[in-house]
This record gives sequence, structure tokens and C-alpha cells, in this order.
Amino acid sequence: MSKHPITLTINDQEYSIYVDGHHTLLQVMRDQLNLTEVKYGCGRGECGACSVFVDDQKESTGRKVVDACLALAATLDGKKITTSRGLGKDGQLNEVQQAFVEESGIQCGFCTPGMVVKSTALLEKNPKATEDEIRFGLEGNICRCTGYVKIVDSVKKAQKVMSKKRK
Amino acid sequence: MSTSVVGKRIPKIDSKEKVLGTAEYAGDMRMKGMLYGKVVRCMEYAHARVKSIDFKEALKVPGVVKCLGPDDVTQKGYNTTIMKLLVPEEFCEVFGEIAEMYVFNKHVKYQGDAVCGVIAETEEAAERAAAKIKIKYEPLPVVMTAEESKKPGTFQFTKLKPGNLAGEFDERVFPGKAYGWPDAETGKMGDDLADECDLIVEGNFQVPKQKQCQMENHAYVALYDDRDKLHCWTSTQMPKPVQVLLAELFELPMSRMRVIQTVVGGGFGVRLGMIGEPHACAMAMAVPGRPVKVEFLREEDWLASETRFPGKYDMKMGFKKDGTPVFVEANFCAEKGGYYTHGNGPVFCAAAFVHGMYKWRSMRQRGQSYFTNVVPTGAYRGYGNPQTSFVQEQLIEEACYKLGLDPVEWRKKWHKSVGDETWLKGVTYASDGLDDCIDQATKAFKWYEKKKKYAKQKGKKRRGIGMAVMNHTSGAWPMLLEHTVCTAKLNEDCTVELMASISDLGTGGHTAMTQMAADTLGWPMEDIHLKSGDSDICGFDIGAHASRTVYCAGPAIIEACESVKKQLLERAAQLLEARVEDLEMNSKKVISVKGNPNKSIDARDITKQGVYNFFDPVSGKQIGIPGQIQGYSSFLANHCSPPFGACLSEVEVDTETGQVNVLELVNAHDIGRAIHPPSVEGQLEGGAQQGLGFVVSEDIYYDEKGLCLNNDFTDYKMPGPADMPQAKILLVESAPDPIAPMGAKSCGESALMGPIGSVANAIADAIGIRFYEAPITPERILKGIKESGKIFQ
Repeated sequence: MSKHPITLTINDQEYSIYVDGHHTLLQVMRDQLNLTEVKYGCGRGECGACSVFVDDQKESTGRKVVDACLALAATLDGKKITTSRGLGKDGQLNEVQQAFVEESGIQCGFCTPGMVVKSTALLEKNPKATEDEIRFGLEGNICRCTGYVKIVDSVKKAQKVMSKKRK
Repeated sequence: MSTSVVGKRIPKIDSKEKVLGTAEYAGDMRMKGMLYGKVVRCMEYAHARVKSIDFKEALKVPGVVKCLGPDDVTQKGYNTTIMKLLVPEEFCEVFGEIAEMYVFNKHVKYQGDAVCGVIAETEEAAERAAAKIKIKYEPLPVVMTAEESKKPGTFQFTKLKPGNLAGEFDERVFPGKAYGWPDAETGKMGDDLADECDLIVEGNFQVPKQKQCQMENHAYVALYDDRDKLHCWTSTQMPKPVQVLLAELFELPMSRMRVIQTVVGGGFGVRLGMIGEPHACAMAMAVPGRPVKVEFLREEDWLASETRFPGKYDMKMGFKKDGTPVFVEANFCAEKGGYYTHGNGPVFCAAAFVHGMYKWRSMRQRGQSYFTNVVPTGAYRGYGNPQTSFVQEQLIEEACYKLGLDPVEWRKKWHKSVGDETWLKGVTYASDGLDDCIDQATKAFKWYEKKKKYAKQKGKKRRGIGMAVMNHTSGAWPMLLEHTVCTAKLNEDCTVELMASISDLGTGGHTAMTQMAADTLGWPMEDIHLKSGDSDICGFDIGAHASRTVYCAGPAIIEACESVKKQLLERAAQLLEARVEDLEMNSKKVISVKGNPNKSIDARDITKQGVYNFFDPVSGKQIGIPGQIQGYSSFLANHCSPPFGACLSEVEVDTETGQVNVLELVNAHDIGRAIHPPSVEGQLEGGAQQGLGFVVSEDIYYDEKGLCLNNDFTDYKMPGPADMPQAKILLVESAPDPIAPMGAKSCGESALMGPIGSVANAIADAIGIRFYEAPITPERILKGIKESGKIFQ
């Protein structure tokens, strides 16, 4: 098995590591780097529990959300990656996370790290997202606890807070 | 100013760690020297005998430490369920607990049954080695339905259950093998009263094999340490009973069997009892001194952990012309799966919740379950009640339609209430908020306006509205043991450590417990810390089941805190030379004589002096009163205060595609008192998603060989965010329960039932066709339309 030297910048910290060519970003983050906020829910891109930001200059926001279980780590050399732990500054919560806390958009918490990453991306890209757009935007992230009611409430609340800040 | 936090919409105490992702689930654990265990499961057959296992090639894989076959681990049988801890011994004999599950099996009874195991330095090495183990099977005939299972000459799953009849209502407890009550006047039972009825409605229903689909896969770390103590970190819902079961299985005293519940990523019943703990522990015992982690893959989680009880549910009801309910007669025949997990439990409970709902002159329900070659059935949120909602609530609506009665008014008139028997014979309702639930729900939903609006429709898309009510339970006393122990330790600075084995599966249980403690003491929540889930520290608790946490564990927290408060006041009385009843304590923890604030003492001085109990070097006198204060409660529930609920929903059925779109859902719940309202709402909102899944999309399918066709989130379709209506939850607090702690009844499971019955009724209302099979998939709708000959345009 060939090892590939890569550098990943995860939540502003640089990791220069050797990875196996067949290892996914999820495996590398969880097993090699012990970054367990990226969750294994299905391993096949169905549940979104491993959603992370990867920088991508083709995107208007400069980054996109990737299912870490579907991305081979070796293909991400030089990339900047952000997880739920790096959304806010200095380990603080961003507006989306704060809204999830205040609106009780969290139950068992297993989908939450992926859900807040996806929600953040959604609002970054479309600050005026309608409720339908929020719901369709979250279709790739499964939650079995909340019925999505308080998750949608949380995203809408974050949207309001962010819009006020922009003014 | 009151510092009361009960009833307040505060953030949950575990929010920050969960929103950052730092909360540690079992699968997130990394320990020094940790090895990885892989359970090798039979994926090719649903029924087979293992002829041989060859580890030779597997052992050559770099990083492999050990391979374990059926003979390399304990030969003791077990049952993943905890029935024997829930009921007295003689009852357990009646219900039966068959300890015929084994860590590794030579006889595979369902696809996913465990055959052997590999331990390796990395997860990948374990998986590579597992793929190289050569197992030869002798395939055996597969039994998939109750009909096949009961046929003479069919393979017998266990000698203890002849005819593969895993369970029925035992004659010793249920005369006539039935649950219910006779007509007070004639003594007749069930449909023996058919002659007296003006209308009979009946249906043969099919209910699905629904999967819990909790987001965190089952995961464990086990360690057999150098003091010969076995540790098991687990995602179970029931840490204390799991400790007992593991101690028995591995023949260890409880003092050498430690179970630690990690953060749990959802449960919904699937983690009720054991799942992979025996495998993780057996592997750990094979490599003493090194922790072994066993984390299930999603497809493995799916195949190897229990599901809801599916089966055929027949029901018949009789009414007088004016709507007077005469009898209900029913039979639920379930498919059990390969092992005797949960006995006949949900089949009985399906009947129990029929028992608790309406004022029939007589009720009679029977139930059986038969072994089949599929993954065993067990606990899933609602435990028989969702099946009952689908069947009972549809027939009620049909009867009302045929009698020309308003189903809203009929339900208000004929539901059981205070003084009537609940789901359990001999236990009566102490509170009832159902009429308020119905009134509030119909108003918020605009039921009557919608009824009028949709009376005449045209077009290919049709709308309909439906209703359902339900009764459930708060804990399962007196049928099952409900016991929780709490120790409240007062720190030197007068903050509190609560030690109680209380499971929070994401329900908000830990937040609610902390709120209840805070209000009991009158102190801020920040001063209270709940330490839970470690069997080395916590006393007994049966675990999270039967919607019990607030109702059964809450009182243990309250009592332990009351004891702490009492001890503080007694010491204050002594120090202030006052009577206890003349003292009061404020939220700043200052205890003073009522009406005389100058005569006061800071409780922090009492706790500090209790620990650091010095003598004054000048006076030579002891300062304060010695001893660290601890409160204690060993609380046994004395009722089950069932909550009621009413749910209304509106659907749009596309008659061309068969697609059902749930547009609106209002669920009013008789909570009594909501300790943490966002959590109660969260339970009801989330339950609605699982209820909708039951009624429109969720079922496990198998091919003719008994192999699962949809063990993933693509082919097993749960309602997603765009499928879900923004459910409206009404918390009805007009009937606080006099027995319940702070008036609070349960909500954990209640959420599923209403959406099931009401959506099924709304579909029937929309297109005038009733469906007897759940889930009501687009295929079934199109088939139903075709068979009816109806044309929608």
C-alpha cells in the first residue's frame, strides 16, 4: 500500500502526514488525527454526519461541503478543512451553532456537527434562503431525533442574527 | 425573585459539547494500546449451520492479534433482553426468558448472526482478516412468515417453544389467553356481543418491520484489566441491567464488572438491553490488559440489532346506532425473528393500549408471535402502541363515518378518563387532559373549516384530514420494575454532585433532572452536576425504557435533594438555636430565621465546616458540625400516570403517482407539566417523523432467501427535512397528574402514535379508500386506486 505525503490545514492547524491512497478523509481525521467530531454514520454519503468544509475557489464562498466518508484524503493535499469545532473563532460557537443551542435544535447530537456545517454553508451561500430552500438544502443530512422542526427553527434564527449583523 | 427553572426554555446542559462535536460517543473513544475487534457475521444465509471455520489465511494478515471461533469464547447462553430483571421470577417463567443466544454461533438463525471474531491492531487489519476467514455453511430452509413457522414439520427454533410459538397470552395470567374485560351485564367477551350491535367494522391489517435508525451505530470498548476487572464502555440505554447480564455471562461478581454508558447517539428502544456488549467483552477477555473496540458498520447495525414487531393485526368492533361502543375483539400475530428477544412483550402491549383507550362494554384481544429467520424483534419506541394506532384509530374513524357521527365528538365522549382502568388491569387513571388536547388541536388545526373545505374536491391531487388519539404510560409500573437510586453529595462549597445512572439518549433527560434538582434545592442549575452511567459510582436504575425518566427517575433526584436540604436545615437549626420549621433558605444559600434576617448562616459555611472540621485553637471548641452531607433515595414508582394525546393531520395524495404529502400535523399532548418544554416538544416533533415513516414509507424488505434488501438509508426511506411538515406541538398542562413528580407525565414514546393513525385516516379521507397495510406506500396507493375503480379528475 502506497503512502502519500499530504498537508491538510484543519481548523487552522497544519497537519503534514502520510496517508494510504485508499483512506478517506473520514478515516484519516478520525483514526489518524483523532478528530472525532467528524462522525461515521453510514460511510457511503447517505447521512451527512461527516459533513466538513473543504476550500474550493470555484465556489462563490470559497469553500464547499464534502462528505468526508466519500473523499479520498490523498486527493486533498494542501486543502483547508473546517469542522464543527472550527466554525467559530477560538473554539467559540458561530451564529448557527449558537442558534442550535438556543432553539434546542440538538437531541442526541450525533448528526449535529455535520448539520451545523451544512447549515452554515447553506446560509453562507444563500443568506435569504426560504424555509423550503433550507429544508431541501438539508436533505443530505439525516436526523432521527428532531423531525427537523427545531433544526429548521435554528437555521432560521441564525439567518436573522446574521442578517442583523450585516446591516 | 424566583430562581425556578422548571418549565423554562433554557438551553440543554449538553448543548455546547454536541454542537462543537466534542461530546465523546463510544465510537470516538481512543485508549492507549487499544485493539479493534470485528464481529464476523453470516451475510450469505438467513438460516444455516456452520460446517467449518478456517482462520489460516486471516491469521497471516499483518496486525492480526487473534481470531476467535464459537468454541473460543464463553459457552454460556444469554438473552439480550432484560426481562428477568423487570419481573418477579415466577412471572419470568410465564413470559419466559430463553437464554439461547451465544456470542458466536454454529447455527445461524438470521442474516447477520455472529459466527466468529477477529482482533487486530487496526480496524482495517481486522476487516481485511475478517474477509479472509473461510466459513463453510450448510444452508437450511428459511422460514419468513408466521404461517410458515407454525406449519407442522417446520424446523423448531427452540425446544422450549413447541410449534415455534414464541409467545402467546399465557393462560395462567390471561384467562382464555386473552386480555380485556367481560361485559358487566352479560359476562360475554368481545365479539360474543356481536348480536347486540347495529354496526360491525373490521379489518385485517399488516404492520411493518420498522427500524429505529438511531444515527450513532452501536459501539463498545471493553477492557479486562490487570486486577481481573472487566470494563465495558457502551452506547446502551440500560447500563445497570447490562452490568448484571454481563457479570452473569462472564461469571464475574458485579464488583468486577463495570459498565460505563458513553454519550448515546439515539436509542428509540434499540439499545434496550445488550447488543454487541457480549462480543466486545468476549474479545477483551481474550487479550487481557488491552482495550478492544468494536464499532458496528451501518449495514451491520441494521442487520444485527432488533426491530419493531411486524405482523398481522386483525380487529373487529361493534357499535350501537347512536355510536355506543359495544365491543372490540382483536388478534395480533407477530413475526418474532430468530431469537426470543422481548418475548411477546410488544404483542401484549398492543393489546394493553387498546385496553387503556375507550369505554367498550367488553374488550378481548389475543396475541401470538412466531419465530422466523429474520433479525429478532424487540423494543422500538411505542412498544406495540404504534401498531395499535394504525389499526384501532382507522376502525374508529370508519365506524364514525358509517354511523354519520363526528369522530372528534365520538372520541371525546367515549375515551377513558379518571377512575377508569388504564392500559393495565387494576390501575386507574389519576388525571386526564384528553378533552383539552382534542379541543386545542381541533382549534389550532381548523378541523371543521377544513372538513367543510375538502368535502367537495376535484382534480388528480386530493386533500384529506384525519384524527387519532392515544394513551401511553409513564414507566411500566406495576407490570415491570421501576427503580432508580440517586445519591446527592454536597461538596465543601455547597454545590451538588448527583450520582444516578440516568440515560439521556438525546431526550433532554439530564437537563430535566438537573432542573428538578435545582428547583427542589432552590439553587442555580450551575451548582448541580449530574454524574451518570458509571456502574462503579451509580446505584441501581433500570435504564431508559417505557418513557420513564422524568416520571420514575425524577422522584429519586427530588428525594435525594430534599434529604440534602433537610440535613442542611437541621444543622442550621442547631447552630442558630432555632427550630427547623422556622428556617428558610434563599437562592443565595443563606439560611435565616423567618422574619429575622439577622439571625442567619451561610449554608456554604455549614458544608465547609462539615468537611474541614477543625477545633478553634483559642477556644478549643469544635467549629461547626462534622460530616460531609449526602442525600440518598432509592425510589420505586407507585403508578404509571398514563398521558393522553390527540393528533390531527392533513395530507395531499397525488392519485397519479401515489405520493402522499403530509401538509400539516398538530399534536396535542397531555404532558401534565413540561419540565423542559423544548425537550418535550422535541420528543413529539421527532416522534412525528418516526410515526410518519411507519405509516408512509418505512419497512424492511427481504428476498425469498431471507436476505435483507434495504439495509441502508437510500433504500430504507425515512422522511427527510423536505418531507416533514413543520409539526405544531401543543403542550397541554391543564391536567397535572397528582401522583407524578411536579405533575409531569411522560412524552418520550407518545409522539409516534397520533401521527400514524391520523395520517392513515387522512389518506382514507382524501381518496375514499382505506389501507390496511402499513406503510401506505405509493405502490399500495396506486394499487388501491386501481382496485377501487375510482377515477380522479
